[in-house]
Amino acid sequence: MTPLAGLLPLDPVPVAHGLGGAKDLPIPTELAIAGAVAALVVSFSVLALAWREPRFVGEAGGRPAPAWLDRVVSSTAFAVVLRVLGFAFFLYVGAAAVLGPDTLINPFFGVFYVWLWVGLVPLALVFGNWFRAVSPARTIVQLLGRAAGTSPGEGLYAYPARWGYWPAALGLLAFVWLELVYPESTALGPVRLWCAAYLAIMVIGGAVFGERWLEHADPFEVYSHLVGKLSVWGRRDGHLVVRSPLANLDTLTPKAGLTAVVGVLFGSTAFDSFRESTPWLQFVQRQGVDRMWPDTAALLAFSIGVAIILAVATTLTGVDDDTPRRTLPDLFAHSVVPIIVGYIVAHYLTYFVGYGQVTLVQMSDPLGTGADYLGTADYTPSYWLTTQPALIAVLKVAAVVAGHVLGVVAAHDRAVRLLPKRHQLTGQLPLLFAMVGFTVGGLYLLFAA
Amino acid sequence: MPRRPARTTVVAPLLLVMALGLGACGGEDEPDTPAPSPTETSSATESPSDSPSESPTETTPEADIALTFEGGAWTPNGVRVEGTVGEPVTIEITSDTAGELHVHSTPEQEIAYGTGTSTHEVTIESPGVVEIEAHDPDTVVVQLEVR
Repeated sequence: MTPLAGLLPLDPVPVAHGLGGAKDLPIPTELAIAGAVAALVVSFSVLALAWREPRFVGEAGGRPAPAWLDRVVSSTAFAVVLRVLGFAFFLYVGAAAVLGPDTLINPFFGVFYVWLWVGLVPLALVFGNWFRAVSPARTIVQLLGRAAGTSPGEGLYAYPARWGYWPAALGLLAFVWLELVYPESTALGPVRLWCAAYLAIMVIGGAVFGERWLEHADPFEVYSHLVGKLSVWGRRDGHLVVRSPLANLDTLTPKAGLTAVVGVLFGSTAFDSFRESTPWLQFVQRQGVDRMWPDTAALLAFSIGVAIILAVATTLTGVDDDTPRRTLPDLFAHSVVPIIVGYIVAHYLTYFVGYGQVTLVQMSDPLGTGADYLGTADYTPSYWLTTQPALIAVLKVAAVVAGHVLGVVAAHDRAVRLLPKRHQLTGQLPLLFAMVGFTVGGLYLLFAA
Repeated sequence: MPRRPARTTVVAPLLLVMALGLGACGGEDEPDTPAPSPTETSSATESPSDSPSESPTETTPEADIALTFEGGAWTPNGVRVEGTVGEPVTIEITSDTAGELHVHSTPEQEIAYGTGTSTHEVTIESPGVVEIEAHDPDTVVVQLEVR
């Protein structure tokens, strides 16, 4: 994992390895085993005891939000304010990226790898699809659309439905490759280039396909959309509604490539843990070649492996005539989202709390001139959490198990909705085993790395 | 078939889970590996050592970790060593070129070494896994588990 740094703002060490310093200790054996047993027990309990008729009703569910809240959030002014704030933030960090120093005191790295990539998850859990509201790419596409006089949301062509979320899956893979594998992941040039390419692809795609391109191809927007389905916020007929997270998750529209997105998100987090384990470290350093190649192969193997396991596990069941077997993976992929969130929390909690604070300090001095624009330059990050390894271990296991429980419940409900009665129990077993496998595998990586 | 009240179907296993979890937390937090001690230096016994080492099983002012850089490669290669918070870890480096090791603690530290054999000390102030990394070629030589 890109480790946690204790670099103070004026420390000029220009090192080119990952962000940070010390990483978390492995979780104790008993806790790992307890977590695995809990996951197994809950999984089979849900299978045996839970409801036989689908409980979640998709879009129809949920209570309308309080009228004043609906008025505020649905107003144009609110949308514009968010866009302006988001774009202003983008320009500020962009200035750091373009004009700031190529060292780790540049807040660009912290904002990109910690505030955006890790912070996306808690923000989405609380606010829903927040990235869509502030996305600089979307703002640019909208502005260009206005300037060109085209109607909002339309481009030259219609976005091909069969592409689904595949472009976002590739975009996410490109991001995790940059973060986890590329040796110069904390050099200003490459990261700036990645961001420039990302913006270019989003804007050009937006011009060709309209804003639907961004909904399907922007890696951050799709990620924020998926995790946002675990928040309580939804929309129905243009109004804000409040739903329980699981009921909200049920409204995630299955599209082509959803399995791939989920595979990359889970596989990359698992790979991040795996690459710090002693056996892999020793293996990779013993080869004569640059570490980048075996690491790339492993990242791909994890991502594709998760997607394949999911696809196989969901298709190993009897189906009705009206559910083509090949659509099953995308229909069940939503249930992996809570597992991903649990694992992200387990893996990045201390990193987010620690380096997130360091980034806050660095943000006051984007150009490396010793300035203090935001007043945070003298703030000392607190590393209290890092001094509590037992608490951290319990939080990690709790997060992984909680994610697993939600995932199993979501999969169960989808199964009783889709599968013919005689296959409802047996048809769930392969997917159940796959999820238990993911959770136990995740716990093992937390224990061994 | 009669439906069980949905609440109990979720509460019952959750109670079981909590019971198991509390049971596990109540136990010792020990890792299975032995407490930090210089006898962990399998690295000292493995390395083709030119270092003037005394018997590697002695417990005192002996290097906790012995590193050798020869022919463009580091020995050992990515071992895990136990350490204690606040206690200095002694590192003995034998190298044919001068260089720097980066200690990825919070905050980061550096160990600059010259040619020949030299001894250095590093102290980690908070728990975690600290990687000690060399460059040219980029290698993580040691992962220090500090508790």
